[in-house]
Amino acid sequence: MAVVSLKDLTKIYDRGHAPAADKVSLEIGDGEFMVLLGPSGCGKTTTLRMVAGLESITAGELSIDGAVMNAIPAKDRDIAMVFQSYALYPHMSVKNNLAFGLRRRSVSRSEIERRVVSVAETLELTPFLQRKPHALSGGQRQRVALGRAIVRDPKVFLFDEPLSNLDAALRVSTRSEIASLHRRLGATMIYVTHDQVEAMTLGTRICIMNGGRVMQVGSPLDVYHQPVNTFVAGFLGNPPMNLLPATVTDAPGGCTLAIGETRLEVPGTRMPAHSPGADLTFGIRPENVRLGEAPGAGFATLAGTVTQIEALGAETIITAGLPNVAAPLTARVAGDGGPGVGDRVGFAVDLGAAHVFGPDGRAVTQS
Amino acid sequence: MAALRKSILLLLLTGYTMFAAGPFVWVAMMSLRTTTEIHHDHFGFPDPAHWNKYPDAWFNSNYATYFANSTQIVVAAVILVTLIGAMAAHCLARYRFRLNRVIYFVLFSTIIFPPQITIISLFQILVQYGLYNSKIGLMLVYVAIQLPLTIYILESFFARIPSDLFDAARMDGYSDWEIFWKVAFPIALPAITTTVILNFILLWNEFLFAVVLITEEANRTLPLGIQRFIGDTQEDIGMIATGLMIAIIPVIVIYAFFSEKLIQGMTAGAVK
Repeated sequence: MAVVSLKDLTKIYDRGHAPAADKVSLEIGDGEFMVLLGPSGCGKTTTLRMVAGLESITAGELSIDGAVMNAIPAKDRDIAMVFQSYALYPHMSVKNNLAFGLRRRSVSRSEIERRVVSVAETLELTPFLQRKPHALSGGQRQRVALGRAIVRDPKVFLFDEPLSNLDAALRVSTRSEIASLHRRLGATMIYVTHDQVEAMTLGTRICIMNGGRVMQVGSPLDVYHQPVNTFVAGFLGNPPMNLLPATVTDAPGGCTLAIGETRLEVPGTRMPAHSPGADLTFGIRPENVRLGEAPGAGFATLAGTVTQIEALGAETIITAGLPNVAAPLTARVAGDGGPGVGDRVGFAVDLGAAHVFGPDGRAVTQS
Repeated sequence: MAALRKSILLLLLTGYTMFAAGPFVWVAMMSLRTTTEIHHDHFGFPDPAHWNKYPDAWFNSNYATYFANSTQIVVAAVILVTLIGAMAAHCLARYRFRLNRVIYFVLFSTIIFPPQITIISLFQILVQYGLYNSKIGLMLVYVAIQLPLTIYILESFFARIPSDLFDAARMDGYSDWEIFWKVAFPIALPAITTTVILNFILLWNEFLFAVVLITEEANRTLPLGIQRFIGDTQEDIGMIATGLMIAIIPVIVIYAFFSEKLIQGMTAGAVK
């Protein structure tokens, strides 16, 4: 059992500078796969390194299974980590890389041998046990790095962008390997990535970070469908959510928004009434925007001029400029047909899937 | 066209090899000739070859003692320089601490002083500490003069070792001391070998500090032994050449043995 608890965890590298991690609070349950997701410099790796014991904690409290770990050195936390660069010892064979951590922990030779052989078999590394890391492919190196963590049988696994050095195909297969590893071991895992596909497919829960702070924590679909602010809305999803500046009109009900020259009546379930003139942000995911006029109630039409077409085969991403609106509108439509660049077309927006954000960027949508 | 280019390259390489190896071959030939023969014909072939000059120099001209002294002093100095240099370089490259760069700069700046500047003060220090005219004294001086360059070469190599490796070893449960010996040192072996060879060759041939700090016959090193054949009025060129060859042989053996590692160390990091 391993419950990892972060309470207001803060890291300040240089006095006078902004904290790299700012009061990060998070409870990671036993056997949970928590993904820390965010752009470069958001503090996710710093947070992970504080959990690992590789960075000192400026303020806050880290505990594992109720025991405070702030002053406990990395080696005594019973944590294993897989690094972005694999961090394999280049002068040692695969076998010695796997056994290196166990040797320090006074594990008997026969037990080390048994565990190394077992892990090598699981990860299909047996033919490479005598090879040095430089004689392995990227995928094999990544498996050795995984094996080195597994062989220690730790309470908690930490992953620091382990797939970012792999090519696209290998990334997919290694991703599913990590997922099956989590299912098999049932261990608590904390995984850092800036790749939202990894986060969505691997995480039991996702913690989205920005500027050293936690923006939102929740299951992947919850975070996707109910973003708490414009950052999360704009970060998750590819293409990201359309975020269009909107103003509340003086129409009765307080739920009618003016976006450029168009007026949209947002259902009360998606937006509480606001006083006229309030500046808000209207959010809609590209998959909730269709080509053509609104098919009926619950939809609104936004007309614009197509500026970019990205035909991906199974779907097409259409970007259009709306008159008097600073942000473009992106639609994801099935198939590869559709309008050409420069065409003026209508887009049907599903208002039932709309998100509305206040002037401070926080969601006002009622879920 | 390709053949012509190859021929020109071959010609250039042959010319350079003759230029570089010429003096060595000349000394090797003179080492098998007597001084009289050399005076008669400077560039003549050793005919007949006086192989007996080698045992003569070894047994009758005290070369065995000089050789043993050189070996003791240089090997001890190289071991110390390597260990201290590697540890210092590792610390300077790996740890962030106050005055890190200042210490590095001060250490490295000592390279700019020519040995003539420091030799009088070194002489005084050694006399005061009772180390003048002793093998330990000379050995310590050698350690001191070679440390800056050793740290400079190794620091840049250690700095290129990814910090993730050290973090991984920390997670594996190893202390900083163990990480140095089990991770950093083995990885830096190509660079360490380079410094071992460079230091060995430089110290084996070192003359200035040895001639000032050693006067006792029993503590003389090989370069001083060779000097003994240079008198006030005449020089025994033949025996000097034989002594030079005896002195050069260990250097050649070490270079031949480690040359691959040397090149590896020199070019490490140059190509990904």
